[in-house]
Amino acid sequence: MFETLRSMISKATAHYADIRYEIKKETKIVFNGKELFHIGSNSTDGFVIRILKDGGLSSIAFTRADDTETAVRIAEENAVLMARYVNSPVKFAKTEVVKDKFLPDIDEDPRHVLIDEKLQLTQNYNSIALKHEKIATTDIQYSEVIREKYFMSTEGTEIREDLVTTSIGGLITSKDGTLTQNVRVAVGGSKGFALLRNQEEEFEKKTVIALDLLNATRVAGGTYNVVLNPDLAGVFTHEAFGHFSEADLIEDSPTMREKMQIGVSLGNEVLSITDDPTMPRQLGFYCYDDEGVKAKPVPLMKLGVLVGRLHSRRTAAAFGEGLTGHCIAEDYRYAPIVRMGNIFIEPGKNTIENLLAMLDDGLYILDHKGGQTSGENFTFGAQYGYIIKGGTIRNMIRDINISGNLYHTLKNITAVGNDLVLSKTGGCGKGQLNIRSCSGGPHILINNVVIGGM
Amino acid sequence: MEQLLEMVRKVSDKSEIYLVDSRGDSVSFEDAHLKDIEGRIQSGISLRIIKNATLGFAYTKNLMNRKELIQNALDSLKGGVEGLFELPLTSNLPSVDTYDPSIETLTNSAMVEECGRVCEFLSQKIKGQINMSASRTMSRLRIVNSSGTDLSLKSSAYFLHTEILYPYSSASLHRTLVSKTFKKARDEYLNFLADTYNQSEKEVSPDGRKMKVLFLPETIYVLMWRLQNATSGQSIYQNISPVTEKIGQKIFDEKLSIYNDPLNDSLPHARAFDDEGTPCSHFPLVDMGVLKNFYYDLYFATKLKTSPTGHGFKGSVSSKPAPSLSHLCITPGNKSFSDLVQSMDRGIIIAGALGAHSGNIPNGDFSIGVAPGIYVEKGEIVGHVKDVMAAGNIYDILKNVVEIENTLHPCFGGNFPSLLFDNVNVTIKK
Repeated sequence: MFETLRSMISKATAHYADIRYEIKKETKIVFNGKELFHIGSNSTDGFVIRILKDGGLSSIAFTRADDTETAVRIAEENAVLMARYVNSPVKFAKTEVVKDKFLPDIDEDPRHVLIDEKLQLTQNYNSIALKHEKIATTDIQYSEVIREKYFMSTEGTEIREDLVTTSIGGLITSKDGTLTQNVRVAVGGSKGFALLRNQEEEFEKKTVIALDLLNATRVAGGTYNVVLNPDLAGVFTHEAFGHFSEADLIEDSPTMREKMQIGVSLGNEVLSITDDPTMPRQLGFYCYDDEGVKAKPVPLMKLGVLVGRLHSRRTAAAFGEGLTGHCIAEDYRYAPIVRMGNIFIEPGKNTIENLLAMLDDGLYILDHKGGQTSGENFTFGAQYGYIIKGGTIRNMIRDINISGNLYHTLKNITAVGNDLVLSKTGGCGKGQLNIRSCSGGPHILINNVVIGGM
Repeated sequence: MEQLLEMVRKVSDKSEIYLVDSRGDSVSFEDAHLKDIEGRIQSGISLRIIKNATLGFAYTKNLMNRKELIQNALDSLKGGVEGLFELPLTSNLPSVDTYDPSIETLTNSAMVEECGRVCEFLSQKIKGQINMSASRTMSRLRIVNSSGTDLSLKSSAYFLHTEILYPYSSASLHRTLVSKTFKKARDEYLNFLADTYNQSEKEVSPDGRKMKVLFLPETIYVLMWRLQNATSGQSIYQNISPVTEKIGQKIFDEKLSIYNDPLNDSLPHARAFDDEGTPCSHFPLVDMGVLKNFYYDLYFATKLKTSPTGHGFKGSVSSKPAPSLSHLCITPGNKSFSDLVQSMDRGIIIAGALGAHSGNIPNGDFSIGVAPGIYVEKGEIVGHVKDVMAAGNIYDILKNVVEIENTLHPCFGGNFPSLLFDNVNVTIKK
């Protein structure tokens, strides 16, 4: 394959070009309620070429090898146009030339599991919720995405890497009269098909929550002190903080760069945050990014002080900071952008009981239901929660959406738990979908959080 | 394609081939400077087959290996997905004008120059950061099925998206221009952004409570998402819609009429047929507050023993058609945007929504971060406000429409006016 790719980028006259070819194999099985809605395996492929010429960087994605000459011509013309207008010439930070083949070590390769067995397992999990009268429907999906990647650059790098991602999950919807409630369920990861086995307990637990939510009370809007469980702490870390550690998001925002300077104290001294794509067995694991840079762990915040950020070759050069290996594409349809790998708050010393006692009166909220950020503001939903009175868990609450200001909230995280849980499925949509976006943390206590009740 | 159809016919009872080819370019500016130029040349083919009342599906990017595509579709029959519907025989459709050949000669250089001109124009009026993008796409679609349908469509589209960011934030005032080919952005479009930004530049901290709320067209999708979910044939079939029994009943304020308008070819991507070859038509969803229809694709229409309504659309080549309101519109009212602001004694303009995808969508609930939120007092914009959430249920707040803007703006999710509501819960952190 590399011979073919070499021949394709040899058509470029630029001093730097790279090409990524990917074969993407997907298997999907979807149940809507009891009915099988979809089943099938398919394979697609395509190319992305990037050209750096005269200080202009441009990319093109295409699906037919026959279009190579046209694609290279368009990308070169666009790079030259970029160079004419760009504020300062684009440079790439220097990286090691690598020739490597990295096929991850996984427990049970899903490519070797028959689709009948995948169907049976998905059907078994789906049926757990459907046994209950007040479960109106489910939307449970088996998803297997295998990216077989070939990367080559004119600097001499040649990397072959596979990313294998499997999950079973979706929505469980309960209904009582006109009231519907839903809960998300997900199991899976990057470590092979074995992760999907013996997960009945998770589907049973989420079914009970969906049923209990029919009798939960709506949270009243207002400002609360809250304890977030590890899943929500992870989503907060990803949405509110993590995106602004992605250098490309702040590169051209003078006001955000002013706020996010390395060395400033942004958070409470209990708070340390790291992104580490090299953690084995975790969802966000990879060896090389889609620029051929080896991934490495990056401390982002240490005891409340900003100490690092995530980079592509372009942003590392623009910021004058070190390469981190965080430039990732969704697939062959996209040029890579800066993404998080496994981002998490480092655990502290408090047990959950300590945290609830410190909270005294407030809310304990659990499991995310989507999240979004807009600079200093963030919003994310929680699937359920409890009122806490005198440090004790009381009534279940529902319809919880949290909003906040990044900088205030980082200061308002006053205590961190001693547990650490990372997410098993992901789906960050920063222009492209990253299904391996992984976040986590321990339980955390935050003061003064805005909850938008109904 | 004909060769593929011939091969498929031999191994199935019914079959459908969906083919799309597209190419395009986009340029983006950040902080009023050129940031990126990207190109795209993409193709895709998907295949649905029905054999012994079972549905099979497969897709690929390149028709390099027809046998593999057919085998993948045949393999997917083994799961036993129900395929009881008939593929339509569609012809003699109304003509829709979807393609302007001048798009072919639009250069990236011209799009860069237009973005530069807009940045220059706005920079003279405002202090905020300007981000923008322009793009052009050209696509061809063809649907052929074993019932004899052979439909094709050539489309062109040009988008110009402009954002003015508030400091320390990516919350922005933004608006999109769309057309079938290049159009210079009018001063009126740019002045709306500049004037509204300047009026709201100061940060203010009012108290939260129930108040008037004006959703800009760019945030109406938050409300329509819940309505689309409730009126989809899929939700009706799954019995999770709160309006299942409410056809013919008044569910919203009588000022509200909401319809799907796929034949409107004044905008790009008009459609006379959906992605299954079913004819599209003007489709009332809510007429003067009364719920009129649910919308279906072939699969769910058959499940519910009703007729398809021309709403089977695919999100991408790799997905099967599903019920979708692809061209949603709200009938405009008779007040200008400035009239709407003047009629607010005290309230918030929701110019951006965070977290629209969270919350209990089937129930009609929303609870969104407002970013940016623009505060209005005594009929005038006095500043922008941070740490705001607005929450409610569409079956409550859409009964309280105060006024509707007299202009439709193409934006994410449809073609919408601004909508002014009363008594919406707004929480503001002090």
